[in-house]
Amino acid sequence: MNPGDRRTAERGSIDLAGVTKRFGETTAVKNIDLKIPGGCYCCLLGPSGCGKTTILRMIAGHESPTEGAVLIDGEDVVGKPPIDRGTAMMFQSYALFPHLTCMDNVAFNLKVRGVVKAERRARALEMLDRVRMKSFADRLPAQLSGGQQQRIALARSLITNPRVLLLDEPLSALDEFLRLQMRGELRHIQAEFGITFIHVTHTQMEAIALADMVVVMDQGQIEQAASAREVYDRPRTAYVAHFMGGQNVLGGTVTERRAGTVTIASGKKSITVTAPPSPPAVGARFEVAVRRDRVRLSRAPSEKVDAGVNGVSGRVTAVEYQGTWLKISIEDACSEGFVANVPDGVFFSDPLTIGDPVLAHWDPEQLHFLAAGSGKTSGTATANPTETQTVAAAS
Amino acid sequence: MLKLQTGKRPWSFYALSCFFGLFVLFLYGPMSAIYILSFQGPTGGLTFPMNGVSLRWFSALFAQERTGDFAGAFNRSMILAVMVLLLTVAISVVAGLAFRRRFAGSAFVFYLAVASLIMPGLLVGLGVGLTFQTLGVQTKWFASALGAQLTWTLPFGMLIMFAVFSRFNRAYEEAARDLGATNWQIFLWVVLPILFPGMIAVALFGFTLSYDEFPRTLLTSGAANTLPMEIWGMTTNVTSPALYALGTVTTLVSFIAIALALGSIAIIQFRRSRRPVGKETSAKE
Amino acid sequence: MKVSPALTSYLQIGPLLLVLLLFFGIPLLVVIAYSFFQFDGLDSIPAFDFVNYVDVLTSEVTLSLYLKTLYYAVVVWAITLLIGFTVAYFLAFHIQSMIWQMALLLLCTVPFWTSNIIRMISWIPFLGRNGIFNNALIGAGITDEPLEFLLFSDFAVIIAYVHLFTLFMIVPIFNAMARIDKSLIEAALDGGASAWRIIWDIVVPLSKTGIALGSIFVVTLVMGDFFVVKVMSGSQSASVAMAMSNQIAMVQYPPAAASAVILLIVVSLMVAAILRIVDVRKEIAG
Repeated sequence: MNPGDRRTAERGSIDLAGVTKRFGETTAVKNIDLKIPGGCYCCLLGPSGCGKTTILRMIAGHESPTEGAVLIDGEDVVGKPPIDRGTAMMFQSYALFPHLTCMDNVAFNLKVRGVVKAERRARALEMLDRVRMKSFADRLPAQLSGGQQQRIALARSLITNPRVLLLDEPLSALDEFLRLQMRGELRHIQAEFGITFIHVTHTQMEAIALADMVVVMDQGQIEQAASAREVYDRPRTAYVAHFMGGQNVLGGTVTERRAGTVTIASGKKSITVTAPPSPPAVGARFEVAVRRDRVRLSRAPSEKVDAGVNGVSGRVTAVEYQGTWLKISIEDACSEGFVANVPDGVFFSDPLTIGDPVLAHWDPEQLHFLAAGSGKTSGTATANPTETQTVAAAS
Repeated sequence: MLKLQTGKRPWSFYALSCFFGLFVLFLYGPMSAIYILSFQGPTGGLTFPMNGVSLRWFSALFAQERTGDFAGAFNRSMILAVMVLLLTVAISVVAGLAFRRRFAGSAFVFYLAVASLIMPGLLVGLGVGLTFQTLGVQTKWFASALGAQLTWTLPFGMLIMFAVFSRFNRAYEEAARDLGATNWQIFLWVVLPILFPGMIAVALFGFTLSYDEFPRTLLTSGAANTLPMEIWGMTTNVTSPALYALGTVTTLVSFIAIALALGSIAIIQFRRSRRPVGKETSAKE
Repeated sequence: MKVSPALTSYLQIGPLLLVLLLFFGIPLLVVIAYSFFQFDGLDSIPAFDFVNYVDVLTSEVTLSLYLKTLYYAVVVWAITLLIGFTVAYFLAFHIQSMIWQMALLLLCTVPFWTSNIIRMISWIPFLGRNGIFNNALIGAGITDEPLEFLLFSDFAVIIAYVHLFTLFMIVPIFNAMARIDKSLIEAALDGGASAWRIIWDIVVPLSKTGIALGSIFVVTLVMGDFFVVKVMSGSQSASVAMAMSNQIAMVQYPPAAASAVILLIVVSLMVAAILRIVDVRKEIAG
């Protein structure tokens, strides 16, 4: 699954080395190092204002880094105009020229290069055909639906024969139904053209569904850059775990170390979990994550019962039916709400109701140790994924 | 009550509609009276009733002794208006481009233009006239009057371009640059065509404000009159419906200019905003 | 060759600045210079003398001219504000379709692009002794004698001003109102506020920049007018600018320049007073 293994030989590899971008007083991107292999579908993911669009625009040549180098296929492109970089950008609202027909929009790059009209038409039509928009050649952009506009924008970018296609929130202008459809088309076109796609988004599911490589960003820094599966399943930091969702993050101060276990406390509550290979010192901050769907629930005589190792106890505070599974929220386990996703069959064999005392357990191998992160106090982070998404979409 | 839900309109809607109707009548009523009176019969006077219908007063316009140099004044006004139009559009567009960036002194230019806009026209005319006199240069309609009129049309043009540029998406330029266009190609093939409707609006202001300009032109047009000054002269010494005929002719020119400008803007905007068939969205908010 | 962004800006603003300086800035300075010249009844003699100002400020006519002009300005301002606000309110809040809004606004705007003088004299056949209005009144039996005060009177002057300048109120007020979030008004309606309360507590405060801009236009236009008052009053009334235009017609440039400078100061003070009440910078700077 690791794209780097099989695709490094392809052209369109990106290498950001020590890149920083400041706008006046504010630093949008802080000393970032990032290698994106050629031919890879890479998603830059993060809340709005995290610097992901700035990175995209620096690769495109619409911004220059304050410090650092941007290499495409090993060549530093800082200072070069966009067209000489072999990059093409698809803008957030597509920026199709409103006064030109689809044909003329797609042929714009050819016109700029002085290609004669007959050849322009032929090549534009060929490209329109590849995105299945040939019959719309004479329409103006305003006469197209959002999805059709996106295909024209893709055709207009691809006709420059780029090594790298940069997509700035390409699906945000579409409604939910079209978004799913165009998501598939983007993946399909990327595979067909075999070039690097770098796709900026604030939607976790979009990134996971599309990308070979997901780069999670926050406040101008990279929190994790890895395959979609790894980012979702093995988030590096509490921030990533919160942002990607689907995880219970348990964090606190280490109060006790025993053979093979660590006890951490946050406020009045404490839990004991399996210790990592090199256990943290007493008094240190320590965070672990457990996937919500890897938690087993059982009834307890009271919420005061000792949960033992790799478990929490508490009362059920909410039950949400989700179709094939149920989302069970349990009263504050260790500094934040604990959630178990229970398959519907398991749940309905012995339905829980709000106020029931329960025990939640997980297997030691399901426990995932989090890194301290990039200097953030992630235990108290507010990054409820759905909230973050709403905020990002609204801004 | 405001109408916020669909259904019956509140009484205030009808009351305000009547008010608006009366206001439109107030705007157009007196004007239409003189258009009708300009077709007054040969023995008719300056007011109703109509003593027959004739084109006599229109032909009288071209009789020199009665109305002065109508044809010459008309020519001068048209040429001047076209010159003002071209200069206003060109200068306003490039000034609009400049104001997209911050630069030292931008506030000064802005407030200078606003002051120029609200300055009483007679003062501008006096100033320009005196300046030319001090320099020992004769005032001419195509020099001093042209400049005096520009101090009135350019601020309008500038404010319109502000409004146009505030809605102009910079992504269009970036997209063009991304596709390899040079600065000049971007301006010619992307910026200008997208701005075009706004430029027509500026042109409309430039043309009509110049064509009808009076207080700034009065002291700056030199020996030869423009049309508004002919009309001004007639208000004091012509007591026949020829005055109305002149009014009808110049208003017709204005209306043609307005219709051409608004018509072309409407066509362009309609073409650019037409939704696909079957996806017709209502114009309601 | 690469041109720096700063230089580009100055090249682009250059033509506008040049025209404004040559035909507005410098002429203004020339007028100020002339106001200090001496005038011997025939010629202007370069000097630095306050005699023109002393003459203007000690003349009994000056005060009455200013009082008359201010009277016109205040009355016309009040009427155009009332009409302009009502029309803008109707367009912004009662017309739901954008296309209709634009169409009706254009209907109000079209006369602005036609000749002011023609629009002014179109009132003559309307208001005259045998005019349409008098005939209609007599026909309806409202009056036996034609009303004499309709034409060549203050009434006629004010009617013409209102006719010419109301648009300058409508457009800025409409622009301000169009930006008011309609949900504010829905919220107020839900809260049980009456229509009058909504207008007074929400619409007026939120459109005050438009009201101020419109007021600046109308006040400066009336204060600077000389031809409406001349024609529509039948030369029976006068305004500051009209007296000035008479001085200019008699080539009394230094006294006219002094009158102009004083008028300019008065108008500037009025504009400054309006700006002191309402800060319109955000509105015009977009």
